[in-house]
Amino acid sequence: MEKLLLRNIEAPNSHTLELYRSRGGYRALGKVVRELSPEQLIGEVKASGLRGRGGAGFPTGMKWGFVPKDSPKPKYVVCNADESEPGTFKDRLLIEKDPHAIIEGTIIAAYSIGSHTAFIYIRGELVYGANVLQRAIEEAYRAGYLGKNILGSGYDLDLILHRGAGAYICGEETGLLSSLEGGRGWPKVKPPFPATHGLFGCPTVVNNVETLAALPWIIDQGPAKYAALGTEKSKGTKLFSVSGHIRRPGVYEVEMGYPFRQFLEQDCGGVPNGRKLKGVIPGGASMPVLRADEIEGVRMDYESFQAAGTMLGSGGVIVMDDTTCMVKAAWNIARFFAHESCGQCSPCREGCHWMEKIFSRIENGQGRKEDPDLVLSISGNIQGNTICPFGDAAAWPAAAFIKKYRAEFEAHIAQQRCAVLASE
Amino acid sequence: MDAVKLTIDGKEVTTTKGTTVIQAAAEAGITIPHYCYHPKLTIAGNCRMCLVEIEKMPKLQIACNTQASEGMAVETQSPKVLAARKAVMEFLLINHPLDCPICDQAGECWLQDYYMQHDLQASRFAEGKQHERKREVFGPHVVFDGERCIKCTRCVRFLQEVTRTDELTVVDRGDHSTIALFPGTVLDNPLSANINDICPVGALTDRDFRFRVRVWYLQKTPSICPGCSTGCNISVESYQNRIARFKPRINEEVNSHWICDEGRYCFYALTDVERITAPLIRQEGGLVPTDWKTALGAVISVLSGAQPVCGVLSGRNTNEEAFLFAKLLRRLSPQARLEVYYRERKLTEVEKILKSPDRSPNFRGARDMGVSDDGFEPLLSDLLDGKFRSAYFVGEDLLREVAQGEKVRQALKKLSFLVVQDTHLSETAKLAHVVLPAVNFAEKEGTYTNRKGRIQRLRPALVPPAGARQDLEIFSLLLARVGEPIRRATPGEIFLEIAREVPRYRGLTYESIGNLGVQIES
Repeated sequence: MEKLLLRNIEAPNSHTLELYRSRGGYRALGKVVRELSPEQLIGEVKASGLRGRGGAGFPTGMKWGFVPKDSPKPKYVVCNADESEPGTFKDRLLIEKDPHAIIEGTIIAAYSIGSHTAFIYIRGELVYGANVLQRAIEEAYRAGYLGKNILGSGYDLDLILHRGAGAYICGEETGLLSSLEGGRGWPKVKPPFPATHGLFGCPTVVNNVETLAALPWIIDQGPAKYAALGTEKSKGTKLFSVSGHIRRPGVYEVEMGYPFRQFLEQDCGGVPNGRKLKGVIPGGASMPVLRADEIEGVRMDYESFQAAGTMLGSGGVIVMDDTTCMVKAAWNIARFFAHESCGQCSPCREGCHWMEKIFSRIENGQGRKEDPDLVLSISGNIQGNTICPFGDAAAWPAAAFIKKYRAEFEAHIAQQRCAVLASE
Repeated sequence: MDAVKLTIDGKEVTTTKGTTVIQAAAEAGITIPHYCYHPKLTIAGNCRMCLVEIEKMPKLQIACNTQASEGMAVETQSPKVLAARKAVMEFLLINHPLDCPICDQAGECWLQDYYMQHDLQASRFAEGKQHERKREVFGPHVVFDGERCIKCTRCVRFLQEVTRTDELTVVDRGDHSTIALFPGTVLDNPLSANINDICPVGALTDRDFRFRVRVWYLQKTPSICPGCSTGCNISVESYQNRIARFKPRINEEVNSHWICDEGRYCFYALTDVERITAPLIRQEGGLVPTDWKTALGAVISVLSGAQPVCGVLSGRNTNEEAFLFAKLLRRLSPQARLEVYYRERKLTEVEKILKSPDRSPNFRGARDMGVSDDGFEPLLSDLLDGKFRSAYFVGEDLLREVAQGEKVRQALKKLSFLVVQDTHLSETAKLAHVVLPAVNFAEKEGTYTNRKGRIQRLRPALVPPAGARQDLEIFSLLLARVGEPIRRATPGEIFLEIAREVPRYRGLTYESIGNLGVQIES
């Protein structure tokens, strides 16, 4: 398969403007600012079928179309580079290896809504990536791709790199905006939505790194070529970052609709050391886990994962073999969400810690018979009732682990100890 | 304005466009439970208690942040809503201490109330509770208990949006998140104690009131703050015939939901005094108790036709008292100079949100009743210049209130006759020839007219000590002695007389004033 997103990363000095330009970089930007009106550009992106790669999969062109054209306020585009989902490291690769693709994509997105100030909000821990991006932004300014009168088109755009202070919740788009405004990284109550009341109360589009990085190729090669890839509803390619008990972990670019089992067993080399697959989380820690027997026939696209009872999410594939204690895995994930809950709304603030404490007890031999059902009940009480999707992100995996590995939880409770270690 | 029609629990409700579901429901008499929502603060949407079901929406929506729209069908009692409410209550309570018996909020705690209404289940929480800071003093009037806090952020928003003093914020994350002072800050602004009122739980409590009385023993009397002429509506809350606290009463025309700290605690100075319970009369060697007949007789005989005389009424006297006082003094001495005590001071920007620059809640009403000739300051300077021979002072300790205390003392000593009518033997009263024991603002009934011309009712919350008499009664007894008997000296009857005789009050009835007052043209 031809690589779109990872087309440059293996080239030496792939992070430089020189290399990027030598491979056709910024050609798309020239076409956009010289030949396309914002409406035409939005039309092209809609035609490509590109959907948001941050996890929700919302159609990108449609998102841009929600921004009011007649607003007297300034408009903003924010590139969400706060990649923090456990098991996810795809954006980091693009940031470090192909920063100009992100910058070019950001400029294209800003042009589509008539924004003259754009931000890249990068996760605070990605220090190296931030340095790479900052150098690339400076190169782009010097080359006339940013600043006043871009490529002689009369279009102006400033791009500002902002480093987060290290909170998972700042990857949620309104939490990100609160943080970028200088406040606590608290998600905002919606409505109103960022398209009309985003950064500093102005119309704002927040797009994921991978989404923006796909734009130059789509414009350069034409939306039809992109739309020809993938399935009917999930177009193009998607990055998957694979980790855990797998022979060849790493970031893979996969055409949407690729068979999941084939991907794990052939592309990634399968589970090492003669072990058997026990479970796999396909979309980052916040998505429901799939048992080994559930991946048969599942394809790697939004709809197929959803039909299997999970979600594509961020594409962070976490593979677990049969030495994995699923109670411990559930506890580990619950601990992450309890630690990262922002504490703003009641169900998430209280519920995440509660679930974490119960998992901890079960794993440490103090489980009670009623605990599994209690976790299911708490998870159900959080789902759909919180300010932002974080509540669901914490509640789904907890419930999935119990539903899918219930016997293992019950064994822990009955034996008052970790049942997996016992069987070793 | 555009009207919007929707149904809430099957009931058809019409409201204006832009109204939220929680407001529309309240207008229709349906209360949707909530913690973080406050009608005077921005929407936080964090407690999730007001989740309701809305037709065609897959998820429950928070009623505080959902605008009512045409044809919307809202359910506030569906099984899904009741389950969500119960769940939110459970979340709020898992880390909450179970120590209601020693919590000062008990009895007016929204967690208690909503637990009874919406939860009523045994705890399923088998873990150790999260510990937080306890008894942290935020400022002179506010103490914080982090374990009882539900992080609704009402206090933070009040200080951001109403006082704009920004002393508090939220710190830390997850179930460690808590309210905290900004480093180096003290919560000491002129409206600070309001956050105790809006805190729905026992997290913020009043340092003055807490642990004095269990709130269910309080007797609540709707009245008017005697602190200044803004006329904030208050509830005088008393126990065993003592005032325990003032609480604001909502009146959008006057004080909205708030009162200032100075007003809130002003009752101490006005009520914590050693009461006099019999008239006093000056004899050789000082003031001695006497009977009312003797005291009133002395007042009439000396003041009748005496020249020149001045009368100073307290700004805390009611309209009805002022009306009779003017009648009495004019009758005794047609040239008498009458004034209501009134002095101004400088206010800060935050004080100006509620406070008026005076300490005379009814100066405007007293003037309307004719207790004013040239203003208080000219009268005071004439008094200092020795221009009066006798004086009748009611309820104001001029020696303490006026900066030139010593000069006033010398001037008062030169008077040939001084009557002081007050609750206690004030410094001024010690110089009097006759002292008449009267009652304070919390023991009397009547009306005040605030600075902006709003007539509001003062209601008696306390029983006066035996021996003291209502100011109104004293004036009417004196009037009877000069041939002007008042047939029924009740505040209501005298108000009717005011409504006949005072132009701007014409046609009003005592009943029409109600709990929120009536506005006269200014």
